Formats: sequence, C-alpha cells, structure tokens
Amino acid sequence: MWYGTKGNDSDVAISTRVRIARNLAGYPFGDRLDDAKKKEIIEKIDKAFKGKEWKYTDMSSLTEAQRQSLADRHLISREFAGCPAGTQLIQNKDQDVNVMVLEEDHVRIQSIVPGFDIRSAMEKAEAAEAKLDEACDIAYSEKYGYITHCPTNLGTGIRISVMLHLPAYTRAGGIKALALQLAKLGLTIRGADGEGSDPSGNIYQISNQVTLGVTEDELVERLSNVVGNIIKEERSFHEKAGEEFRSDLRENARRNFGILMFSERISSREITDMYSTLRLAASSGLIKLPQEKLDELLVRSMPSTVEAEHKGVTTPEARDRARAELAREILGESAI
Amino acid sequence: MLCEKCKKNEATFYYHENVNGNEKNYRLCADCANELEKSGELKTWKESVEDPFAGFGKLFTTPFKQMDKLFSGLFGAPALTGGQAKSQKQCSCGMTLRDLLDGGMAGCPDCYTTFEEELEPTVRRIHGRSSHEGRIPAKFRGKMDTKKKIEQLEKERAEAVRLENYEKAAEIRDQLNELRKTLEEGA
Ligand SMILES: [Zn+2]
Ligand SMILES: [Zn+2]
Repeated sequence: MWYGTKGNDSDVAISTRVRIARNLAGYPFGDRLDDAKKKEIIEKIDKAFKGKEWKYTDMSSLTEAQRQSLADRHLISREFAGCPAGTQLIQNKDQDVNVMVLEEDHVRIQSIVPGFDIRSAMEKAEAAEAKLDEACDIAYSEKYGYITHCPTNLGTGIRISVMLHLPAYTRAGGIKALALQLAKLGLTIRGADGEGSDPSGNIYQISNQVTLGVTEDELVERLSNVVGNIIKEERSFHEKAGEEFRSDLRENARRNFGILMFSERISSREITDMYSTLRLAASSGLIKLPQEKLDELLVRSMPSTVEAEHKGVTTPEARDRARAELAREILGESAI
Repeated sequence: MLCEKCKKNEATFYYHENVNGNEKNYRLCADCANELEKSGELKTWKESVEDPFAGFGKLFTTPFKQMDKLFSGLFGAPALTGGQAKSQKQCSCGMTLRDLLDGGMAGCPDCYTTFEEELEPTVRRIHGRSSHEGRIPAKFRGKMDTKKKIEQLEKERAEAVRLENYEKAAEIRDQLNELRKTLEEGA
C-alpha cells in the first residue's frame, strides 16, 4: 500500500497519482449505456486484465463504508465510490494500480505511489494501459486523440496529480498566487479531495488541467519541474523559520503527540489538525516521527476507513475510540 | 512575527522582489499589504513573475480583489457555449448539437466526429489547443505506418516511371495495391 511507505521528498510530498481515461470504440457514454452494453464492456475489459495478479470486485457487493474507504485511501475516485450499480473495480496485488470500469469514462486506470515520483506512477499506469490497448479497440481520433466522455479529458486522457503538504505556503498566503501561476501553465491546485474540496490539513493536489496538445513526455517534464520548485520553496520556508516559531512548533507537536498516545477518543477533525502540526515539526527536524507514518494515520483515520477496518464499529463514539487505538498502533513504537 | 509597517498585526504576507539585482523583502499584515499595493508602492505579483518557471521564489504577496474572481474560474470545467447552435445535425447516438452544448458531455465517441467543427472553439477554450500530440493506440499506429509507407512508395513509383524503369514501377504498383488492401481491411 502506498501509505506507510517512505517515498521521495517525503518531507513535503505525500503521494503521486496518474489517471488515464480510455473508452471503447463503438459504445456510447454514461446514460446512453443500457445494462446489456455495460456487461459487454465489463467482459471486454476483463479480458485485458487476466491472470492471478488482478482482483475483480463488483462495486455493488461492497458496503458503503468499504467503498468510501477506497476513495479515502485515494485508490478510486469519490464519484466511483458513490455510484456502485453495474460498475467494477480491478486491482493489482499491491493495490497501487486500480482500474475503474464504467466510471465517467468506460475505463479509468489509476496508479498511486508514495512521495514525489511521477516516473514510477506513470510506468505503472502505462503498463496497465498497454494491456488494455492490446486487448481492446480504443476510441481515438486523429484530431482529438483519445476520446473521452467529457471534452476536458481529450488528448492524452492523462491526469498526473501530486499531493503535497504545504503548511508554510498556506501560512504565507501564497496559495492563490500559486493557483494563478499554475493556471498559466495549464496546471491546477485543489484541496486533497478533488474539485472544490476544503484544503484541510494544508494538503493540496497539483495536477494538469490541460490534456490535449501536450505530449506525455512534455506533461511529465512540466509537472516535474513545477512541483520540484514548489517542494524546494516549501522546504526553504521550513529552513528559514525563526527560533521563536520553531520553539512554539516543537511544543505544539509534543503536546499533540501526547494526545495521540494517551487519549481514549480522537475525532477525525482532531487528527487532521494534529497531522499538519506534527508533519511540519517532523519535516523541520524538530521531532523524529517518520512522515509516512503520519500519512498512514491520516488516511486510516478517515471515518469510512475506520469503519471498514473495524468490525462492528459504526457509531461516531466507537469510531473515535478505534481511532485512538489506531494512533497508538501506528505511532506507538516511535519516540519523539 | 509582527507586520513591519503597522507593527500591530501578525504578518501573514511575505513579499520578495528582485529588480536588477536590487533585493527587497517585506513582511506585512493583510491590511498593510493591500494598502501598499493600492498606492503602487508594492509592485503587483504580476509584474514580478514574468517567467512562470523562475517565479516561484517571488510569489508571496497580497491577493488583490480580482483574484477571487479569477480563482473561482479555475475550478470546474468551462461550460460549453456556442453561437452555432442553429444546426439540426444529429449523431448516430441520438445526441443533437443543442443537447451537447447544454450538457457539455459527449453521447458517444462518434459525437466528436459528427460535431468536430462545432466543438473546436470549446475544445480550444478548455485546452488552449485543439489537436492531439502524443501517443496513439497500437491499431492506429499500424494504420499510420501503412499510410506513410504508401506515400513513400508512390514517390518511388513516380521516380521509376520518370526513369522509364517500367519493370520496377510495376513491382511497386503491386506492393501499393497490397498495402491499400490491408488498410481497407483494417478499417
Ligand atoms: Zn500592518
Ligand atoms: Zn454520438
């Protein structure tokens, strides 16, 4: 699993995702697909992902909590979690490649790796895409490239998305200016949970908005440069912080760690707030907690994931208790 | 840290400027930053970040009023609009141009061929460009290669005819017929 594993530039970067949209030639989109056609599409796509390494899941066989947990852990989209009827999820063993069948497009391949690592996320997604290309007749036009349901995804159909923890940028009020600069480059910045979401925990996703008229290589290069610069910038703020700020941050981080180690109940909002303080303190060298453990705690603390991982836990109070145990399970071995 | 100007509020904006090697740093509160920007004492970020790739060190300044408007425009897909909605054209999937422009989503892959021309301005507005660069599916790769081969052989045949090498020209013609057949079968 991507979380809990150390990645590149993990002081600032949380994860890197690549999503490739593809459609089968000769089949309509969305509402225009009847059940028989949906079944045909699922059968055709299954043929592309044969073998023991692929696991098929009928999305309607999962509970609401299990589906939302897949989205909490950034393995599938929130939209896909919300519309399970007649859709299918295909996952590899490590669950770092997740194929959503009958999302907005007929197929969406999504790969995710820890830290800032566009290259390996691309390799994983493209390897899966090559299987699909081999087995299926893909909708394509010489003018618009890979055809997608929505014109915003035409062309390469590829969306690269790097998730970053930017507490210093946020504090300095730089996010809006950054958004404007990114827009000029065909890139965009959003909250962690996609369009219009609240950037809680100072977590942002930087991704390409433009998919047409830019080659895959250009896209990788552009995002690598820009995200690399943003990471350096955030890091330089950590290094330049004054002694008073560092002392306050260390004190806050230690108090938060105390709460995590000794509480009986912790809400998911508390985790989000403590996460940002602890992560910044760790990245500034003020405490010794590994960032990937904090990322794991954040992801596994989401209400749906707590529910999906603990049998019989369904009420908010039971979740808060399970979350407090989870914090000790993940961070209990660490000393700060 | 406190604002360097009023020394009252918490400084939340960091502004860095480098004009011909002349470096200036300010740490200001939101109110003072706004005031200085209005008076023109602070150059706006727009002027200080000409080169977008080089500009990341200089982008901390106050967000000014219009920014909110521009910012909201970044989220969500731009709506499809069209002055050419008069056409009665319909795609084989049942999609009409009006439905396409209202809904913003294609009905089937063929919609992009049926309404290729009408969609062009929208696609250009979304992506800044309107034709694909980059990878193509394996099946089309074969087709593109065959097309290129045909072009090449046609040139060679013309050359053979010019040199009155009719035997060679006939040979190339047979090859061309073969290639055209595979292209038709593939389509
Ligand atoms: Zn002030
Ligand atoms: Zn159509």
